[in-house]
Amino acid sequence: MAEKVQLFVNGQEVEVEAGKNLIDAFGAIGVKIPHLCYHPALGADGNCRMCLVGIEDGRPPIVPACKTKVAAGMKVQLDTEKIKKIQRDIMEFELINHPIDCPVCDQAGECKLQDYYMKYDGQPSRMTVKQVLKSKQMDFGCGVVHDQERCVLCARCVRFTRLITKTGELGIVNRTDAARVTIFPGRPLHNRYALNVVDLCPVGAMTSRDFRFKQRAWFLTRSASICQGCSKGCNIFIDHNREKYKDDIIYRYRPRRNQLVNGYFMCDAGRMTYKGENDDRLLTPQVDGRAASLDEAIETVRRAISEAKKIAMLVSPNASLEQMYAIQRFAAAIDAALSGYSDGCVMAGDGDGWLIQDDKSANRASFALLNIDASKAGFAAAVSGADLVLNFLNDLDRSLGEDDLTQLPATAHLVSLASSLTACVARSAVALPVASYSEDAGSLVNCDGRLQRYEAAVLKNQPLKSLIEVTRLLGGSVRNIQEARAGLQTAVAVLNDVDLERIPADGIALTASEVAHVAA
Amino acid sequence: MGAKAKIMERTGKSFYERLYLIEIFKGMAVTLGHFMTNFLDNSKLYVRHYPEVQPEIPARWRGRHRLTKHEDGTMKCVACFMCQTNCPAKCIMIEAGERIDGRSEKMPVRFTIDLLECIYCGYCVEACPMDAIRMDTGIFAVTGADRQSFVMGLTALLATPGAYTEEEYKKGGV
Ligand code: SF4
Ligand code: SF4
Ligand code: SF4
Ligand code: SF4
Ligand code: FES
Repeated sequence: MAEKVQLFVNGQEVEVEAGKNLIDAFGAIGVKIPHLCYHPALGADGNCRMCLVGIEDGRPPIVPACKTKVAAGMKVQLDTEKIKKIQRDIMEFELINHPIDCPVCDQAGECKLQDYYMKYDGQPSRMTVKQVLKSKQMDFGCGVVHDQERCVLCARCVRFTRLITKTGELGIVNRTDAARVTIFPGRPLHNRYALNVVDLCPVGAMTSRDFRFKQRAWFLTRSASICQGCSKGCNIFIDHNREKYKDDIIYRYRPRRNQLVNGYFMCDAGRMTYKGENDDRLLTPQVDGRAASLDEAIETVRRAISEAKKIAMLVSPNASLEQMYAIQRFAAAIDAALSGYSDGCVMAGDGDGWLIQDDKSANRASFALLNIDASKAGFAAAVSGADLVLNFLNDLDRSLGEDDLTQLPATAHLVSLASSLTACVARSAVALPVASYSEDAGSLVNCDGRLQRYEAAVLKNQPLKSLIEVTRLLGGSVRNIQEARAGLQTAVAVLNDVDLERIPADGIALTASEVAHVAA
Repeated sequence: MGAKAKIMERTGKSFYERLYLIEIFKGMAVTLGHFMTNFLDNSKLYVRHYPEVQPEIPARWRGRHRLTKHEDGTMKCVACFMCQTNCPAKCIMIEAGERIDGRSEKMPVRFTIDLLECIYCGYCVEACPMDAIRMDTGIFAVTGADRQSFVMGLTALLATPGAYTEEEYKKGGV
């Protein structure tokens, strides 16, 4: 438990966490102090002055809340006439040259300037001189579009490139109303986290080329989830919307704060993985290259299973813990050799030691928990002589060479349960569509051994069955995700004390030593 | 079970009224009187000779929508979605894209109003920050042979001119 201090805000005594600045300490108890330049991950810069608060009997009597630590007995004033006037005046300064592009500005609806104007300002403009015009729609690279007129010069973006990515592509040039954020000539943003400046920017000065004009912010439903672009498992919001007469579509991913995993950020590549959830999906069951009904496809596979002499099963390191468990039980029941071979998901040297990891799969750590073998030798042994290969989500194309791939369906009947139309699906004799992670719930263990849970976010007009349901139809014994969770709890030693139905918001650490112990 | 008969209490001021039949014949006489007058001289009709005679539509009448243009012919709409957001019938469907006519940066690539769903409330007009959508076409009767013909697209909405002068519209008629 963090240390607490007592102090007063607007004459009321409150207890807040010690050691924090006023914005964070009060924010935690629901008292909001307006601020533009301060961001917990970037520190206090003190340049916007929006956060000025009064301190009764204080020297000085007015301080920036972002740079002031809480102290016992401090008497903070947020609602005196003086403070209200300061807030109004700062807003007036911010808006002197602001273009008020709200109708065409992607930030509208989630814009600090709009919110603060409505809450703290609300007065008409008194300016009679011509506004200073600056550049608009500047291409800053990495899919970031900058509008200098909308910028409030809070320097969050500049500090991000200096403090976080340490690439320093952005800077503020000139002073007063000629000041503007810009890049060095011919040197656009060039780092793998650049799109975070779009989230960081409190106004619409930084927008994303990819998301540009696609949706207005207020139409989007924000669902908490986990990014599955690599084994880090950054916490995200899936912003999706079902337009009239259309399907539920994902428009963007945004990082969701989890101090123990990704902080406030996520990488650009992960951000773009939402496209795979919308496009190139396997939607209809296929038997021998033609569309078939689910019943027919299931029947075909069931027959193949009963006739097969040797069955090999492949599982993807992207499957959730619950899915892996259901698959493993199924493999044991039909006496199939189970392999998690997926070397192609690992791009050695690609990770950067911060968020981006070498391993581009989301849940390889669960292989260790469940003792699933992922070696090439194990895979070779499993498929050699097998006349039926059941592939659960595994994108074999990434791991196998062209020769092996063509050979595989030639010698064995290849059945794929997949959510995307991969080349491997195209080679399969039977392909069964299953729900993807944005449409399904599950748990993942990330590269640091942190167990995290995600819920279904998107509800398609024609929902696909979950992998566990389809496995059940094929003859698996696990009926649903609850059963898988109960089974995991008893079967896996480290999960004995973990309630998979109630994983806390920031996950649970399955300590490295324990995971290693189970794997051994 | 037989039907239940309910005995109504006879009402009426006088005995004749309570008889009913006499009042009914009186009424028929009035109708016949009107019929004869109109039949012999139909300029005395109490109703409008629609459709030969069209009604007077004031400028603030909410007729079929249109999208307005700047003097140079470019559309005023910037695809801000305010009308779509404000529409209680949810019958406006917009798709936005990059602006290609040199003004600001955003414009609609698709702008659809389903007139069968529209309740002609005018909230879209009120919400628009650009005065880009108006209901001043003076068209009050939209007809069509199939549902699709009631779905107005961008081109059709831009093609119809306003039925009033700018001054009349601003004044709101009267
Ligand atoms: S930055 Fe905010 S206030 Fe400025 S145009 Fe965009 S939405 Fe409007
Ligand atoms: S672009 Fe945005 S984040 Fe950067 S200084 Fe301007 S307002 Fe701040
Ligand atoms: S008139 Fe009303 S119902 Fe019709 S499009 Fe406008 S806002 Fe929607
Ligand atoms: S409110 Fe006006 S400018 Fe905005 S989308 Fe509708 S018609 Fe276009
Ligand atoms: S948030 Fe404190 S000065 Fe900007």
